Amino acid sequence: MIRRRHLPAALLVACALPALTLPRTALAMDANAPAVQTVRMWTLLSGGDGARMRELVERFNASQQGVRVESTTLKWGEPFYTKLITATVVGAGPDLATIHLSRLPNLAGGGVLRPIGPAELAAAGLAGADFLPRQWAKSQHGGATYAVPLDQHPLVLYYNKKLAGQAGLLDGAGRLKPIEGIDALTEAFRKIKASTGKPGMTMESAQSSYAIWRLWLSMLAQQGLPVVADGRFAYGPAGAATLARVAGWFQAGYATPGMDYPASTSQFMGGNAGFMINGVWEVPELVRGQAQGTLGFEYGIVPLPRMYRDASTWADSHGFALPANNDNPMDPAKVRAVLAFVAFVSKHSLGWAEGGHIPAYRPVAESAAFLALQPNAQYAAAARNVVYDPDGWYMGAAGPLEAIASKFLPAPLSGQLTPEDALRRFETEAVRLLRKRAPLY
Amino acid sequence: MNSPSARPRRLETVPALLLLAPFLAAFLLFFLIPAVQTLYLSLTDSSLTRTSAFVGLANYVTLVNDPSFWASLGNTFYFSLLTVVPLTVLGLVMALLVDRFTRAGPWLQGAFFLPFVLPISVMTLIADWMLQPSAGIVNHLLGMQRAWFADVHWAMPMVAIGTIWWTVGFNMLMFLAGLRNIPRELYEAAALDGARGFALFRYITWPQLKPVAWTAFVLQLIASLKIFGQTYIMTTGGPFNTTRVTLHYMYETAFTQSDAGYAAAVAMAFVLIVVALSLTQGWVARRLGRQA
Repeated sequence: MIRRRHLPAALLVACALPALTLPRTALAMDANAPAVQTVRMWTLLSGGDGARMRELVERFNASQQGVRVESTTLKWGEPFYTKLITATVVGAGPDLATIHLSRLPNLAGGGVLRPIGPAELAAAGLAGADFLPRQWAKSQHGGATYAVPLDQHPLVLYYNKKLAGQAGLLDGAGRLKPIEGIDALTEAFRKIKASTGKPGMTMESAQSSYAIWRLWLSMLAQQGLPVVADGRFAYGPAGAATLARVAGWFQAGYATPGMDYPASTSQFMGGNAGFMINGVWEVPELVRGQAQGTLGFEYGIVPLPRMYRDASTWADSHGFALPANNDNPMDPAKVRAVLAFVAFVSKHSLGWAEGGHIPAYRPVAESAAFLALQPNAQYAAAARNVVYDPDGWYMGAAGPLEAIASKFLPAPLSGQLTPEDALRRFETEAVRLLRKRAPLY
Repeated sequence: MNSPSARPRRLETVPALLLLAPFLAAFLLFFLIPAVQTLYLSLTDSSLTRTSAFVGLANYVTLVNDPSFWASLGNTFYFSLLTVVPLTVLGLVMALLVDRFTRAGPWLQGAFFLPFVLPISVMTLIADWMLQPSAGIVNHLLGMQRAWFADVHWAMPMVAIGTIWWTVGFNMLMFLAGLRNIPRELYEAAALDGARGFALFRYITWPQLKPVAWTAFVLQLIASLKIFGQTYIMTTGGPFNTTRVTLHYMYETAFTQSDAGYAAAVAMAFVLIVVALSLTQGWVARRLGRQA
């Protein structure tokens, strides 16, 4: 692939660059009077998130005359980041990109992003103190700000009130009785299966699924164990033991093995599973289903329960970042235009929160309107216990390590590998990443 | 003697070079220079986009001790084992059928060749639908709910079957061209001598077709070793890398792990292996040819 792609791509880009950039700069110079700044944004947001972001873009474009944002949605995951990196290093990247903050060490450390100065932020009416400290900290790298955080999306536990009620898991007010400990959670799944005949829980578990990574990382964090520390796998024997507990749910018949993401979510949406372990990004589907009357049951959402010592829960965040485009740096007017849009979205992120996310912008996150927003209020407590992927260039959403984990961790759930064997293969494949120094792009 | 023949030759040199120029330019630009560049990349510690740090043979040392590389090579050979001989033999059988039935022949030829014109995305989509665990026709006929592409034992054979269906038409065309080049007189002479049925195939068709068969075999071997798209789309290399072939491993190394230096080493090693195999096969073919 290298042989075929590397050089032709570089040559094409080299030929295209002058052609593309010259007229544009010329245009910008001509029109120094009431010029409209065009901001090109690349996003990986699809589905409900994508629709919500498009709406915010349209509202921003309608709200003023000077800046026009043009958004392009690219395929989520590795293809998005590969394209962002390769385009940016030749100066052909966008003016703005949405990224996962878990990928910041890789992108900022690799020279793909441009730092955002405090003065530039201040000019747009933003400051570090406006953002929740956890998300703000995830936006820093080497003492500089590389992203403006947008949200936080933890793993949560969805439940079907009809099935949970039949299994005696609800209190008088129709809310889930507190579940404490891994045995209690397993028992809840068992009760649903026993009393309704339907699977107690559902989660994606087909090959190449990421849910088990998020759950496994949460469960290890609840035992005080990171996946990776100091460039070594640090979970010890608890890694396999924890994986075995999850695999046990599948082997006992409390969950259907081998389901991919759409199959598993529709199992829950169709009323055919008591619980669903998934990120908050499925909230809009449930809200819509209930509003349209297509959802055949009442649902509830709670933070991921405390299974071991604490209630640590995996989460990630979206943020806005400015690609470096070193061969084609942004002029100050463009930076102002980009940050004007970012500030607009931050201030209007209540609309974004309706996608299930917890906003990162404090004036919104602490507003009465957000605190009352349903169903977000039901799992707001999760924010206190979130853990991100450990820092490392290979970490983060659809990053190299998650990509490897998504191949091996689902295998024990379908009984294809023992947990020990799966982790042994995972480590064999991933150890090269841990030893390698962070790439510069 | 010399001068009359030399003058036109010199006159022909310029047009010949001019006519060759587009190909030469494309060959240099898109094949030779990138190939040399890949060789150089394989001796560096480059990331996806930045060529850096000459490291000598370090990548090759890593490669020799990399279980993932050897496993991917094993998967590639397994796929080749499942496809090369069936594709060659089936191509021959289909060509014989098309050649045999004068009236139905063209229809058969069209039917056999049709899958070959499909883009890989369409072919994999069809295979996906047919092998779908709950709604696929294969499971429906067999009365089971097997997730074929998620099954350690079945994933690769299913990719192989899909590939055979997809590409066998091309081999059939090659054999058909070979068949039609066999002089009819040979068959007539053999028939006069009393040869019929399989004897005709054994003593006339097969000896005449052997060079074509070897060519088809070598081309097929190279094509099968170069597998990437089918497993990348249908199984994504799973379950747990049991269908991840060498080119897929190279792709992941370069693009997911941003390790272009090491990916280039994988590429170079793989080229060497394919070349060695092709040469071995040519040598075997010549030896067998001499014996016959």
